[in-house]
Amino acid sequence: MGGVRTDQERLTLASRFMQAGMFAVVLGAFVTESYTWLPAAVVSLLVTETPAILRRNLKIVLPVELNFFIVLALFLHVIGGVYGFYDYISWWDHLTHAMSASLVAALGFVLVVSIDWYVDSIYLPRPFVAFFVIMFTMAVGVLWELMEWLIDELTGSFLQYSLEDSMLDMLFDSFAGFVVAAATTHYVGKHTTPGRLVESLQIGEARDRIKGIIENRKARKGQSD
Amino acid sequence: MIPSDRRTILEAEASWIASLVLFFATVYVTVKMDIPWMAFGISAISLYILPILSMRNPFRALPWEMTLLLAAPLLLHISEGSQTLMENVGWWRDVTSIAFAFSLTTIGFLLTVELHMYTPVRMNRPFAVFFVVMFTLAVSGFWQLGQWIDQLLYGSNLLPSNEVAMKNLLWTLIVGVPMAFVYDLYMRAMSKRRMESLGFIHLWEVYGRTRKG
Repeated sequence: MGGVRTDQERLTLASRFMQAGMFAVVLGAFVTESYTWLPAAVVSLLVTETPAILRRNLKIVLPVELNFFIVLALFLHVIGGVYGFYDYISWWDHLTHAMSASLVAALGFVLVVSIDWYVDSIYLPRPFVAFFVIMFTMAVGVLWELMEWLIDELTGSFLQYSLEDSMLDMLFDSFAGFVVAAATTHYVGKHTTPGRLVESLQIGEARDRIKGIIENRKARKGQSD
Repeated sequence: MIPSDRRTILEAEASWIASLVLFFATVYVTVKMDIPWMAFGISAISLYILPILSMRNPFRALPWEMTLLLAAPLLLHISEGSQTLMENVGWWRDVTSIAFAFSLTTIGFLLTVELHMYTPVRMNRPFAVFFVVMFTLAVSGFWQLGQWIDQLLYGSNLLPSNEVAMKNLLWTLIVGVPMAFVYDLYMRAMSKRRMESLGFIHLWEVYGRTRKG
């Protein structure tokens, strides 16, 4: 048990370091007055803070591994942009794409397992959950490519270079989907049960809290009328 | 085995004819070793044949209108006339993309139905609609990938440019999202008699199997 805890602490520490790195990028942008990657860094920092906000306000606890993965994906994106890895390293774009796709897959997994657990009229066996994760990742990937293309068409920007580029993006999306589906199926079978996983996320408590907030609002509205 | 009322028999016959169209089109692409379309035809036929085989009753054939929707993009793909139109008329490629998008949504819907008929999977309405939309988009993505890989390996010209691929995806989004809702309405509007003769009764109904079960 002690070993597990230090592993988790190490991951948290690594996340903190990467957040510090992104903060340094924000500061660096002001010092060197080159603001190209400032918005990306700021948004990424804010996104890496969302798990903490979720935990504080709704008491949803994302697994440390997932949290670490979110920070890592965004960190690689920001660092790659600032240091020009996107331009100089041909596979950097694919690396970050595969990272963010597996992140989407992991979130899709958490989503579908929670739905299965909390909605009584829905029953989804494990093979279906794996199938769902693959399909979810690809669907989000498709929406992403469509968004890039539409932005290019409307503003004349240059997000998609070529057919090969967008197809490779989607190929990495599907790899990520398959890998995460296999990994999560293995993990949930071996190390935890869907029930324990969902309980540890404490989404049920969060749902109750949200319900409470809505009811409070209604009650207050009722009083003021 | 033979249903007593004429209408059910007529509907089944129409469905068999539509399935023959699908079958021979699939045989054609198989003979030509057109691998992406082979995969498409074979999965469509599997969805068609599964209820018939499992019930050992040819009158369990899927609705004929769906079978036609499944066959339409295959027919357009193998038709020489359609190929010529694609080269000469600007919007014809969009017509084939739209036909393909319709068939993808239909496959997603049939998959949902048959998951309910043959597996313990249970969805509620919102989840089923979401699943059909997601399935349509994802399969369209895999489809573009398959065409692209086929093109790299065999030098076909299925996906001439990024714009073609993206337009295919855009049509799936435009057609797929509303069609998922249309199929929901279609299920609600379907007469009880037809539902029963097709064996669709279990769809979106919960029978005991919930999270604790």
